[in-house]
Amino acid sequence: MALDEEALMWVEKYRPRNLNEVVDLRDIVESLKAFLRTPRTMPHLLLAGIPGTGKTTVALCIARELFGQNWKTFTLELNASDERGIDTVRDRIKDFSRYSRAGFGNVPFALIILDESDQMTGPAQTALRRIMETSSRTCRFILICNQSGKIIEPIQSRCAIFRFSKLDKKAMVDQLECIAKKEKITLSPEAAERIVEYSEGDLRHAINALQTASVFRDGVVDEKTVLQVVGEASPKQVQVMLNKALNGDFIEARKVMYELIGAYGFSGSEIVRQMQRELLKVSYLSAEQKAELTNIIGEYDFRLTQGANSDIQLSALLAQFAKVGKSKGESN
Amino acid sequence: MKDDFLWVEKYRPKKIAEVVGNEEAKATFVEWLKNKRHTKKAVLLYGPPGVGKTALVNAASNEFGFRIIEMNASDTRTEKAINKVAGPATSFVALDKFSTESKGNLLFLDEVDGIAGNEDRGGVSAIVKIVEESRVPVIMAANDPDLEKLRPLKKVCALIRFQQVRIPLIIAMLRRICIMQHVEAEFEALERIAQNSRGDVRSAINDLQSLAEEKRVLTLQDTMMLSSRNRDISMYETLKGFFSAKSLAEASTLLSRSSVDYDDLLLSVSDNLPLRYTDSRELAEAYDLVSKADVFRGRIGTENWHLLKYFFNCLAQAAAVAPQSCKSFELISPPIRIITLFWTKGKRTALATICAKIGARCHVSRETAKHDFVPFVKIMLEKQKSNPINSWLKLELEEVDYLVKMGKF
Amino acid sequence: MVVLNKKAFKLPRVEKEKFILLLRLGLEYDREQGSFCISSYNNIERLLDTISSILNDEKVMFLQNCILCGRDFPCSDCKYYDLCSTKNLPFHCVCTQCLKEGRAYEDSDK
Repeated sequence: MALDEEALMWVEKYRPRNLNEVVDLRDIVESLKAFLRTPRTMPHLLLAGIPGTGKTTVALCIARELFGQNWKTFTLELNASDERGIDTVRDRIKDFSRYSRAGFGNVPFALIILDESDQMTGPAQTALRRIMETSSRTCRFILICNQSGKIIEPIQSRCAIFRFSKLDKKAMVDQLECIAKKEKITLSPEAAERIVEYSEGDLRHAINALQTASVFRDGVVDEKTVLQVVGEASPKQVQVMLNKALNGDFIEARKVMYELIGAYGFSGSEIVRQMQRELLKVSYLSAEQKAELTNIIGEYDFRLTQGANSDIQLSALLAQFAKVGKSKGESN
Repeated sequence: MKDDFLWVEKYRPKKIAEVVGNEEAKATFVEWLKNKRHTKKAVLLYGPPGVGKTALVNAASNEFGFRIIEMNASDTRTEKAINKVAGPATSFVALDKFSTESKGNLLFLDEVDGIAGNEDRGGVSAIVKIVEESRVPVIMAANDPDLEKLRPLKKVCALIRFQQVRIPLIIAMLRRICIMQHVEAEFEALERIAQNSRGDVRSAINDLQSLAEEKRVLTLQDTMMLSSRNRDISMYETLKGFFSAKSLAEASTLLSRSSVDYDDLLLSVSDNLPLRYTDSRELAEAYDLVSKADVFRGRIGTENWHLLKYFFNCLAQAAAVAPQSCKSFELISPPIRIITLFWTKGKRTALATICAKIGARCHVSRETAKHDFVPFVKIMLEKQKSNPINSWLKLELEEVDYLVKMGKF
Repeated sequence: MVVLNKKAFKLPRVEKEKFILLLRLGLEYDREQGSFCISSYNNIERLLDTISSILNDEKVMFLQNCILCGRDFPCSDCKYYDLCSTKNLPFHCVCTQCLKEGRAYEDSDK
């Protein structure tokens, strides 16, 4: 097995390996290069932006720039939503800083990349700030998040903040065409458009869709194939659940909800998020009804964060849908 | 017209004189309050439930103008939690400055005998310590102070005993409520309610409300449906009673009587709600209330038990959304969530492992892997099971199988 | 059967230990009047039994005081005698008269 074996998921295979390869983020890259020229001046970093806009890529590039081929030895990658709590985070950081004490070459520190740091609770973030302080001699942190507003002030003030914005459509299309060429597959312009539309600014999503579509018809990706893939990859069950509820079949809708939680491990907030998305696609509801239901979703989304049982909140939400659905039936 | 209020709330005593029964205990309590030279700075009010212990404390605070810091000790576990609530409060007013004229603070610990043996390590001694270190008077209430574990408490406080409220007094009190609610009640009806209550004023008022709520006239015949009171009601009986409650008061009494676990109850109520309310409007309304109850449960967490009354209030309201549509049905048991989570555990674990592998390879979290990668990987593997990505992702054969067979979510 | 008034009642002379017991069970002694009154009701049942034993095991009853009209009356008059868990004990109550007249519980200032 090769040391850096060829990655077979295209999102990884075509991930830029150094900052020069990163297109469309010129300003960010230029500022970062300044720090990288004299590494000991590099502060903690906070990379913020919607998913699939290059934050992780940039963080990994920084690691490579600093440490070269053995960057993995001097970099700890953590994901806040995967760890069970701030204590496990602290333990892993402690263990890591013990092994990589002096840094490498003219880089006097090791790197800790903490992804999804906005998923951490307030108290956990406070503890994180303390950890950042106590290990600041030997470690630099790169925090990655979707919403910088969810990061507490004391952490924000200790970081240089870089904001990643949604990639524009043309840039995404260019990327897809570039990959298509390298993989020797045919990608029609309409298909590329469709993929970019569907991904809503998330390049990672787009590349996954492209790769999946290429498997469908032996390397020929046209609009039809894309629509097929998009259709198959979209969450079905939420749509099914929604329709059953709107039809007044509460008990069946609730069964689907429990399946999503039980068999797929969906979280309450994830289900609500999908419900909102699917709601907009429902053809047989008027704009007023959709607006009303959106309000209701908002209310229960909030209650999810306060309440003790997500399945109870979701059931209550489905019951509200059943009520609106019933009144739609009556007015028809 | 349905009265939204519980009569026990509406006619809650605001002055000491309004508390029915136990005149002697009331007098002793007031004397304790007024006495500047406290021999004991803590007092323990004890006696059967519903006879006016808590009502007296609240009425006195209202009348004399002192502030109560309340804590339901029976649900507060461990020393830490108790001190967290009662700690700061005890350093307020110096004891000798306390008088009934000035606005002072009092610490009120309700249901101290609820402190169980093992679970609440240090519970009783923590309370004793609070009493000893407290600089404000401490009032405690208990149902049964003869328990061995409360012995240390008895040393540091004065005891005031409450008795069952006598039947003639209850009748007279019920009569007062009837007058204010413009209900004409037959003497025999009030008599029956009073007799049935076994000295518990609270349940007498609840019974009165549940029988007289919709009526102008209350006859003896109406009271025949009063079942005899059963102290410990099981989950099955609680649910049965809950879903056949004809009024808010009835549901409320039932819940206060039941000793079932709150969380189990909440879950079972949620499960069975659509069987009780088949009309979608009623179901939506009832579920909204259950959702609110769940929010309160969330806010209670493990220590804010003073919010429990709001939890029960919401549940009781959920039972009484549409009394007229009451029907009997087969209860769902065990809870849907428990069964579902149980037999889908294998699936969840399998999916979680797969997501972890994807996450490790693609630098994403497991959650992101689940929603942004799995659907695509699944399609690719469906088309081509031997697709080399599965070995790059280090997926086992069963995992590939699982992904392919897994229903589209 | 002996009927006592809780505000003040006399008992035959007893030995010191019994006397101390009575005080512990909730009685107070007025030296001038030579009578007892009840100061604490916490052990009222036991107190009643003790007093009864002092009075040659006669049944002891205390008068009840009507909270509505202020009259003193014995429990034996009461319709609910058998159902009452505090019968004959010196507590407040509502007399049969007031009950029959349909008087309601008022928050009178006492």
